[in-house]
Amino acid sequence: MNKSVITEETVLQELKKAIVETLNADESSIQPESSLINDLGAESLDFLDINYRLEQAFGIKMARHFVLEHIEEMYGEGSAIDDNGQLTEKAVTLLKIRFGDKMKDLEPGMDMDEVPALVTVQSLAEGVMDILNSVPESCEKCGKSDWQAEEGVRTKCGSCGEPAVFRNGDDLIKAWLTKVQEEKKIF
Amino acid sequence: MDSLSGKTALITGSSRGIGKAIAKKLAAAGADIVINYRKASGSSHAQAEELRDELESLGRKTLMVPADISSKESVKGLFSNIKDSFGTLDFLILNAAKAPFKPIEKLFERELRQLVETNYLGNIFCIQEALPLMDKAGGRIVFISSLGSRYYNPSYPLGSMKAAMESVVRDCAESLRAKKILVNGVCGGIVKTDSFKVLRQYWEEIDRLPEELFVDPGEIADVTAFLCSTASTGIIGQTIVVDRGLSNSLYRTS
Repeated sequence: MNKSVITEETVLQELKKAIVETLNADESSIQPESSLINDLGAESLDFLDINYRLEQAFGIKMARHFVLEHIEEMYGEGSAIDDNGQLTEKAVTLLKIRFGDKMKDLEPGMDMDEVPALVTVQSLAEGVMDILNSVPESCEKCGKSDWQAEEGVRTKCGSCGEPAVFRNGDDLIKAWLTKVQEEKKIF
Repeated sequence: MDSLSGKTALITGSSRGIGKAIAKKLAAAGADIVINYRKASGSSHAQAEELRDELESLGRKTLMVPADISSKESVKGLFSNIKDSFGTLDFLILNAAKAPFKPIEKLFERELRQLVETNYLGNIFCIQEALPLMDKAGGRIVFISSLGSRYYNPSYPLGSMKAAMESVVRDCAESLRAKKILVNGVCGGIVKTDSFKVLRQYWEEIDRLPEELFVDPGEIADVTAFLCSTASTGIIGQTIVVDRGLSNSLYRTS
């Protein structure tokens, strides 16, 4: 599923811009593998600020909640994070399926407060790409399949100019969790 | 307004937003400032350093203390630091807050506990530890509340904690007046701080509010400074709304 007319390179570029503006970071210090918290000094409020800038840039809705929260909302409190605030084995299994090697430091028993530090520039960019790839086959208004990237960042119908409506980040995470659960029966 | 020189103020959560504006205002009036923020690393720390440099360039003494007010131990450490550096405290400004943005019924148990620990217990811990430092000369305690204490904001469980806060203002104002500690609150309207960036993600209509209804952090700081001055000795146990008329114009009864 790779339908976005906006390139990953553009996404990384916009993300860097958002990080520079939010954190006063030096652009040369921002690498794909940089941890927003550990390497770039972001805090939870900063994430929301960065997300907001990305939403404005691309006309999308980023996820308001991280995967762990969605797991607990769907499968109950305690399913992802135990009473001591530590990751359960099932949560780690799921995060590894989702993020693969990029989050290789993950292990059961890890403190939940350490998880946000695993978010990197690359993983955030992929989150944006997932949303951009949810662009519908054709324009809801005129029915044509002719998406164009206006100014490189805004997906618009090349025929009638209607902006694309993407799925929001939270819905995509929930849909992914449902699919994985159907296949692997983790919970 | 009279000078606050020679006085010491602690503003919890002062590396950003409203807390930062209050720190600047009290420093401009002459007070020495204890800058508090939660985490010893990250963007708050960097912003606290910037604030420290700015206040010191005015000739004020400053003390930077990272401390999570939801932890009693951490609060004890904060105040023992203040005692060592300044000996006494004149103004305690309870501004720090942290809360998830979710409908209340969707909060997990740990989120509910954190909500109460940071935004209710944390403030009480601070008062308990501040009292010995205010014992001799008395002082002022100012709580920073928000309109969420009285009106519905979407996905804003912090509002219920602010309602509790305004009740604590009335309570402590009575019990501490004999110690010459005057307790009041400032209830802010909608302020464009970092938290606003979050609020607007849950409340899209807010972007359509006319610009003149947004409160400047400095306007909340002005009233806070007033509540620390001798000009306000007649005000006890009140929470003053500073909202540019928002609540009056939108929530008015006929």
